[in-house]
Amino acid sequence: MEQNNSLTPFPQGLASPPGAMTPVMPIFSPTMRYNTGLTPQPVQNTNSLSLLEEQQRQQQQQQQQQATPQLYHSQVSTTTALPGNTPVHTTPLTPMTPITPATPASESSGILPQLQNIVSTVNLGCKLDLKTIALRARNAEYNPKRFAAVIMRIREPRTTALIFSSGKMVCTGAKSEVQSRLAARKYARVVQKLGFPAKFLDFKIQNMVGSCDVKFPIRLEGLVLTHQQFSSYEPELFPGLIYRMIKPRIVLLIFVSGKVVLTGAKVRAEIYEAFENIYPILKGFRKTT
Amino acid sequence: ILKTSRQINSLPKVQCPNHPDAILVEDYRAGDMICPECGLVVGDRVIDVGSEWRTFTNEKATNDPSRVGDAQNPLLNGGDLSTMISKGTGAASFDEFGNSKYQNRRTMSSADRAMLNAFKEITTMSDRINLPRNIIDRTNNLFKQVYEQKSLKGRSNDAIASACLYIACRQEGVPRTFKEICAVSRISKKEIGRCFKLILKALETSVDLITTGDFMSRFCSNLGLPKQVQMAATYIARKAVELDLVPGRSPISVAAAAIYMASQASAEKKTQKEIGDIAGVADVTIRQSYRLIYPRAADLFPPDFKFDTPVDKLPQL
Repeated sequence: MEQNNSLTPFPQGLASPPGAMTPVMPIFSPTMRYNTGLTPQPVQNTNSLSLLEEQQRQQQQQQQQQATPQLYHSQVSTTTALPGNTPVHTTPLTPMTPITPATPASESSGILPQLQNIVSTVNLGCKLDLKTIALRARNAEYNPKRFAAVIMRIREPRTTALIFSSGKMVCTGAKSEVQSRLAARKYARVVQKLGFPAKFLDFKIQNMVGSCDVKFPIRLEGLVLTHQQFSSYEPELFPGLIYRMIKPRIVLLIFVSGKVVLTGAKVRAEIYEAFENIYPILKGFRKTT
Repeated sequence: ILKTSRQINSLPKVQCPNHPDAILVEDYRAGDMICPECGLVVGDRVIDVGSEWRTFTNEKATNDPSRVGDAQNPLLNGGDLSTMISKGTGAASFDEFGNSKYQNRRTMSSADRAMLNAFKEITTMSDRINLPRNIIDRTNNLFKQVYEQKSLKGRSNDAIASACLYIACRQEGVPRTFKEICAVSRISKKEIGRCFKLILKALETSVDLITTGDFMSRFCSNLGLPKQVQMAATYIARKAVELDLVPGRSPISVAAAAIYMASQASAEKKTQKEIGDIAGVADVTIRQSYRLIYPRAADLFPPDFKFDTPVDKLPQL
């Protein structure tokens, strides 16, 4: 199947022009349509990113000596079991056939990362006068010499927004996607009430941060030895190991205590997938004493 | 077979006509190349590559008569064979106002001027902490690789040089802490750390993890501790890491705490402040790590250690 030629069956945002650094393999997401008939193919092109993906996946395989963790299976199971998020699709997608056959020998970790922070941006669609906003709105601070935006805070959901004079806004601090959108709408309403013709264009979640605890101590020295290409562990600089996962593109901070912070995700499923990928690896480096 | 070998060795080769395989002996006093088999003088008037003058160093010798200058460093420079005209000597090179007539000495090798500057900076930094020549050479090589790659072009050259110095020390097996490199460089630890990570990514290399033993000899000799105490401290630190008494602590802090424990048990007692100054750790950090290793102090000392202060009399902080 020529994935590079037939771009129309692909959903938006997954088309990768030749020579791009993104993997050709489509990232399975809940927004993908049914019956696209796409079966995940082995990676054909040989750009370095896909080579690193292969390496990471091979290392995961070696780690377990079992069937690869079913990325697509686990994603299907987690998208149906998300708490606090209205499921978009209630049934798992049926035409999906995984790369490796048979059931996974290792079950999922049973731990769900909790989202701690969501950063989103929205365009209010009109130029704003920051001085009037700062003077008339409550809980707004504006110090043009220090930073060129108004910093506004609301209590429910507890978030902070940076509002720029171009009309663009950054909303941080929400704990879920729905809350982030709600908070952004509230800020837009505040701006609207102050007399500006605010709209709500291009709301996009830019970053999601999650954290969880694997409940056992981890040997970071062992992890950095075997996963050298992806890990960076410098105790002088930072006490945690910085693991840059290639697919999905997530950065994990792994600490000796067993706490893991995942960041860099655009959708919730990426965080879950990344944690499912790293959990068997961490189990392999559990401290025995 | 003879034909193919002649194709490979197409350069004219001086050889004896009677004994083509004989390796010629060079007689440099007469400038001859002599065949050892038959004694035929094959090549004469061979250019003597020895030095022109035998210069002995004595003070206030007049101008060095050697006309060849320093050895080139082709590995690091662009390898240019350009000619440089130096400033003139004698009265004729000055015009009427006292300015020199020939002034062009500006653009010697503009492309590599930044690199030469960086090498000078690296040498200066290394001299401050007395690093041997092999580390300096390795640093220069790393810098050259990074500079040619241009992936870190936006970063300050001094920062890249400091980071290269740090990596070179690590690669040679004698790591220096970031704080030690900061002490000889004007760049902040944060920036050196950032450049360090970027360089590792750019050159696609990795470095070994630091261990407590790497720093023992340096810290202990800076503190003036005897060899017994140094060996005891090394043993304590290694044992502490093996028994996982200090999870998540930087190896430098563990090393400093081990030195403190060893020195307090011996005749040469050092305070936490002194150790903190040498190691670059805060004395509260030493205190924290010491509190973690104190409960198992009896197990951590080497079996043949001579206690000046017994284990139960060690200070408890």
